[in-house]
Amino acid sequence: MSAARPVAPPAGAPAPAELLEIRTIVRRVIASRVRDSHMVDDLVQETLAKVLTAWGRIDPDTAIPYAIATARNVVASTWRHLDTTERNLHRVVDLLPADRPEDAVLDREEGDAVATALTHLPDRDRALLVAHDVEGRELAELARESSTSPGALAAQLKRTRARLRVEYLLAMDHREPPTPQCRPVLLALSGGDRRRQRELDVSGHLLACPYCADLGRPLSQRASDGTSTRIAVGADADVVLARQTGRDVAISLGFSATDGTVIATAISEVTRNIVKFAGTGEVRIGRLQEPARCGLLVVARDAGPGISDVDLALRDGHSTYGGLGLGLPGCRRLMDEFVVESESGRGTTVTMRKWRSTGGPGGR
Amino acid sequence: MLVSILRQGDYLLASINAALDDSEMRRFQEALVERIGDERCRGVIIDVAALDVLDSYAAATLGSLADMARLRGAETVVVGVSPEIAFTMVQLGMSIPHVHTALDLEQGLQVLGRLTSPLPPPRP
Ligand SMILES: [Zn+2]
Repeated sequence: MSAARPVAPPAGAPAPAELLEIRTIVRRVIASRVRDSHMVDDLVQETLAKVLTAWGRIDPDTAIPYAIATARNVVASTWRHLDTTERNLHRVVDLLPADRPEDAVLDREEGDAVATALTHLPDRDRALLVAHDVEGRELAELARESSTSPGALAAQLKRTRARLRVEYLLAMDHREPPTPQCRPVLLALSGGDRRRQRELDVSGHLLACPYCADLGRPLSQRASDGTSTRIAVGADADVVLARQTGRDVAISLGFSATDGTVIATAISEVTRNIVKFAGTGEVRIGRLQEPARCGLLVVARDAGPGISDVDLALRDGHSTYGGLGLGLPGCRRLMDEFVVESESGRGTTVTMRKWRSTGGPGGR
Repeated sequence: MLVSILRQGDYLLASINAALDDSEMRRFQEALVERIGDERCRGVIIDVAALDVLDSYAAATLGSLADMARLRGAETVVVGVSPEIAFTMVQLGMSIPHVHTALDLEQGLQVLGRLTSPLPPPRP
């Protein structure tokens, strides 16, 4: 494969932090679809190689959706390949030929998706995108030609890229959005427009619509608005992302390593419940600041079937699946405040708070 | 590699090298139980030092792994539980049932040595 050759990174190579972020997301996407860890490693490497090879050609703004789409394709083609050869997946990974004929097909599929996405843009937007991102013309020059300001064009470009991301994901997915709300919701998500997101009740829609929850994840897998970080939850791998984010936030707020583990464990339990019982939902992690103390807030929400008897679910030993029955009751012991609100058929919200003990950073 | 399983004498040494999600944990359990039968080994050491948390699911999975291993003739010792995880598990009121624990690999091997005394010589 061409990517196996050492290639000097082009001028537009990703920064290390960016590469790390892409790598984390790619791993999550693949790990949620493939169980064998060796195969996950192989597919992550393969995906990153493809993304890096294409780096010069992709807009940095679309790098993450591009990486996610590539990861999905790599997994899909591997499954197709393995399906026909052997059922015992983890044993045949090594037998995969290094260079597969599907690769050409996949590259074409991605190209087609970008082309389809471009046709969905209004002419004016497409012309601007091509002039600036493809032909490399300066905004100032383009602004003079159309007698507008570079600032206005920059805003238009930002909206257009957000739209292209959505159209690209829709084109790669081959499914029709189930409701007329879906496209505007995904657009608001992609553009990061908070006012529009509130108008459309984007978080409500994401909780109720599995299609948008799935497609929207790359657009907002881990979105931070300065006060809290939101993690979209829809697969086992998201449980790990949520608890690791929780630990990172806790440590950044001065919690001890032990408290970091305590908080990560509680987040793991409540996030797992979302995946098990509701399928999709979200976890928000934020800081609490009061005059005398500082702490961490976790809100886990879903629109699933709900818990019919919260008191029973919180009793030690009660478990409706294979755990030890310590999930929710355990969380109550781990955190300082723990509230479950649930209504049958309307979903569940778990709110947890942990306060940092006084005595300086790192103190217990 | 997220996990590695190596054979050493009569024992299998399994290391978890990163945070695992539930599917990965389950896959690890299946792979290890399969290896115990394939290799006809008498003891298993599982090093969990790199796990980020040991929550109810991970503990239940390790517990049932040990039960399955025992049914296949092998004892299981978990090593590398960090102080943070130990604290959390105690606060959770959680233990890993039927699983022996030891501080590190060296102590784990000693525990296994005691648990799996040599088989009596076959009768003539
Ligand atoms: Zn939708």
